[in-house]
Amino acid sequence: MAHRRCLHVLSRHAAALLSLKTPPTLPFSTSISLKGLTPFQHRSLISSTLGPTNWSHYRHFSSNKNDDEGEDVDEDEDEETADESYEGEEIGDTVPDLGREYTLEEKEAEAAEIGYKVLGPLRKSDRVFKKYEPAFAVVQIGSHQFKVSNGDSIFTERLKFCELILNKVLLLGSQHQTIIGRPMVPDAAVHAVVEEHALDAKVIIFKKKRRKNYRRTKGHRQELTKLRIVDIQGIEKRVEVATAA
Amino acid sequence: MALRGTWQLQKLIVGFCDWGGSSRGIRAFMESHLPAFKASNPQLEVVTELIRGQHPHLKGLYRNKNERVICVKNLTPEEIHLHATRLRNALGRKVVKLKTRHVTKHPSVQGTWSTALKF
Repeated sequence: MAHRRCLHVLSRHAAALLSLKTPPTLPFSTSISLKGLTPFQHRSLISSTLGPTNWSHYRHFSSNKNDDEGEDVDEDEDEETADESYEGEEIGDTVPDLGREYTLEEKEAEAAEIGYKVLGPLRKSDRVFKKYEPAFAVVQIGSHQFKVSNGDSIFTERLKFCELILNKVLLLGSQHQTIIGRPMVPDAAVHAVVEEHALDAKVIIFKKKRRKNYRRTKGHRQELTKLRIVDIQGIEKRVEVATAA
Repeated sequence: MALRGTWQLQKLIVGFCDWGGSSRGIRAFMESHLPAFKASNPQLEVVTELIRGQHPHLKGLYRNKNERVICVKNLTPEEIHLHATRLRNALGRKVVKLKTRHVTKHPSVQGTWSTALKF
């Protein structure tokens, strides 16, 4: 596997060198000899010319945390970040990257995937908490659907970056009217406020195979977000009762 | 985090020891992450307490008079920051297994269905 990878990298390098047409930084002897060498000699050549520290540069992990930061950066710095992320993969797997700054587009894209939109932190001046109104909506968030009304609380999977959010609506209903979406109702919105991000109670996953000397115990706490539904928009809540003439 | 607009965590007590090795992480946390944590949570009263000869802990006091204690011995500053953020994000309620994922006071808007109902 490593042979194929370094060959691929070498062919790219060779292509770059050949297309340059200016004298390359590598010594002339190596550029000629690149074409007819075995993979083992290739690797040793590369390591001797470029130095041992650069080898980590060619390793790319699928879950590289520094992907976004390393795009516009010089080669030297890129190697250092690759080094750090490599160590991070080994040791600090359980500690999340709290300091990662998400750009606005990334936030909106990720949020839209699950089915909500972040509006922003709740200010003290926002009067969002209203009295109960007789209207309900069926709302989808992630892969779960809930029938919500004003003042309900919903437990969902942990949502990243949200304070006051909007949901995608599948069905709206009030006392006298029901609007069914195909599959969603356009121009309908449900506002919710994040009440807490907490861990669920611990569940113990116990596995046992009898008479086979096999027993495993694992504890698991799911991260949840509690949302308080504040407003449902897109339907008339109080219909005027027509007086008999 | 907040119930009807008011933050639930009132006070965070950071207890540490200046001599013990298990407090190394929390001492580093107090230098590196704690000022930023205090600045981003102005509504929270953060108090540092010196407790000699004991392991370090984070104590959170909530509005419903509930106290949550997390022992942070031998943790890195990043992990301690995560625990402090978790304390701030939580309400003070007791951690029990969820009965339902949807808690409501008005389960029906158009009237509850029954077999005797005629449209």
